[in-house]
Amino acid sequence: MSKTFDRFASLIFLVLGVAFVVGSQNISASAYGSNVGPNIFPMGLGSLLILLSLRLFYETFKYKQEGKKEKEKLDYKRFLIILVAALFYVLLLEEIGYVISTFLFLLVGFQTMQKGKWLNSVLISGAFSFGVYLLYVEVLDGTLPGLPTWLGL
Amino acid sequence: MSAFDYLLNGFATALQWQNIIFAFVGVLIGTVVGVLPGIGPISGVALLIPVTASLTSGLPPEAAATSAIILLAGVYYGAMYGGSTTSILLNTPGESSSVVTVLDGYPMAKQGRAGVALSIAAIGSFFAGLVSLIGLVFLAEPLSEVALKLSPADEFSLMILGLCALSGLAGKSVTKALMMTVFGLLIATIGLDNVSGVARFTFDMPELYSGLEFLTIAVGVFALGEVFKTILERDVNEGEIAKISRIIPTKQDLKESAGPILRGSLVGFFKGIVPGSGATLASFLAYLLEKKISKTPEKFGKGAIAGVAAPESANNAASGGAMIPLLTLGIPGTGTTAVLMGALIMYNVQPGPLLFEDHPNIAWGLIASMFIGNVMLLILNMPLVKVFAKLIETPPKYLIPMIVAISVFGVYAVRVSVFDLVLLLLCGLVGYFLAKNDFPMAPLVLGLVLGPMIENNLRRALTTSNGDFSIFIEKPVSLVFLIIAVLWITVPLIMKMRGKKVIVNEE
Repeated sequence: MSKTFDRFASLIFLVLGVAFVVGSQNISASAYGSNVGPNIFPMGLGSLLILLSLRLFYETFKYKQEGKKEKEKLDYKRFLIILVAALFYVLLLEEIGYVISTFLFLLVGFQTMQKGKWLNSVLISGAFSFGVYLLYVEVLDGTLPGLPTWLGL
Repeated sequence: MSAFDYLLNGFATALQWQNIIFAFVGVLIGTVVGVLPGIGPISGVALLIPVTASLTSGLPPEAAATSAIILLAGVYYGAMYGGSTTSILLNTPGESSSVVTVLDGYPMAKQGRAGVALSIAAIGSFFAGLVSLIGLVFLAEPLSEVALKLSPADEFSLMILGLCALSGLAGKSVTKALMMTVFGLLIATIGLDNVSGVARFTFDMPELYSGLEFLTIAVGVFALGEVFKTILERDVNEGEIAKISRIIPTKQDLKESAGPILRGSLVGFFKGIVPGSGATLASFLAYLLEKKISKTPEKFGKGAIAGVAAPESANNAASGGAMIPLLTLGIPGTGTTAVLMGALIMYNVQPGPLLFEDHPNIAWGLIASMFIGNVMLLILNMPLVKVFAKLIETPPKYLIPMIVAISVFGVYAVRVSVFDLVLLLLCGLVGYFLAKNDFPMAPLVLGLVLGPMIENNLRRALTTSNGDFSIFIEKPVSLVFLIIAVLWITVPLIMKMRGKKVIVNEE
């Protein structure tokens, strides 16, 4: 159990609870044909969330002193590269099309996970992105953004 | 019509050629999901929902829902078979319900009996699958008839009971589990209100009018959450994979495991019906039971075949048992059934008492397909176990980025919106950090799935009582449900305070 994380989380959920309660004040209080409006449910739940967050915050004071166990080293570098690559992937998906964006993301992903074996990476990324596109768009008649028009293909 | 006639009709549905293929693909992928490290039954099912949606897009609505749910349920119970493979061969459980299998499975493998352990696990799972299906056939009708008589107030309380059951046993902290449940219910209120059409918490963003999509959140917190965990914690399998030699168990092996399989199946089945207890607890209990009644308890942990047979039967029986409250009452008792329920709702099929009346084809087709799926699994897992064992060696280097790509494809294919993709990544991030700090994700998803229904029943009940909340305790059935719900949360708390150990369910 991490005291810091739990305190931080309880504060965030507290704010969220308050936000939902405040937000539900602006929802009209009655619905046609019913005296129970759309505001009751979120207001009640928001209040519950506030109470639970306070309870968690209180509990964090009772946590036993965290033993100074060695902090596991997390692999933030690889994680951040893949996260940023994924963010670019989803933002560019509609701009440069499914095939190119997926190919690039997989290539970056494979190389981040383990450097080297470029040929394998290129082949697998290519096979995956083309394969999924062909299967989904040509065979199953689904919609995915195709190649960008400025390629002139 | 009797249950038997319904079941025959169900077989007619399940034996249509496309449904046989769907069942086969489901159990095959399920086994793979169970074997592959870093991806469990929940994330497997979540990942495949959008894929099934596109596969079934050409079919009429009801047939599409039937086929899709046959495939997804196949993934669920197939993963229970596959999970034993890594436990036995690698000393690492493929998913949490195979944790106990490691205790005796790996020692067996070290003694050169890996093949026997695997085949006993497969036979036990098969038998357990049949037991829970027979239970499903006999309990489904009467339970849904009872459920039909429930008033909105009763239904509201029943769902509260379901939520409490999953929260009370999930994870290490009840407070955190309840917070996740409430938060799930809260985000379910985003979007246009069903009753009045009023927009809630949408901030005039058109993307939010239809609410946060269940699919996006489930794939995000489960599939991407797992991926991020694998990358950050370098969660890779290392170690020697045991060799498989002899697969066919001897007569002695079969004799020794017959009892454990039978008892494990029954324990698992009844544990599975109870919401919130799930397959992990079932396999624990079955193992403890065998150790207790065994004449040679000292053999456990050193390669006792009963220590593989009992928990593997129990976790399969539990996953079958968990389908009962899902299908008859509309209450998913585990994280995976919550995801299955979300999938059914995506197809406009409401699980619950009316399911057997409104969509007998879906309900009975699914039940019959589970018979067929279990036979397929036995065939797949006995002779082909060596092939599946090879999958353990799949380099995570390729697996991890591909899971991200499949998540993105899946969500985009169903939602066609970049907003959902960004939300997907966000859910993955939040999901990883929360899950890592013991905030369980299953109650969140369950709250998201049940939210609209709970609110509807609440408002219907309050409308009939003119806004008087006492209706929930005046109706006897509702009162009983609420009392059980309160007990479910408080009893483990009191036991913990008294210093007793409480086993929690982690999925």
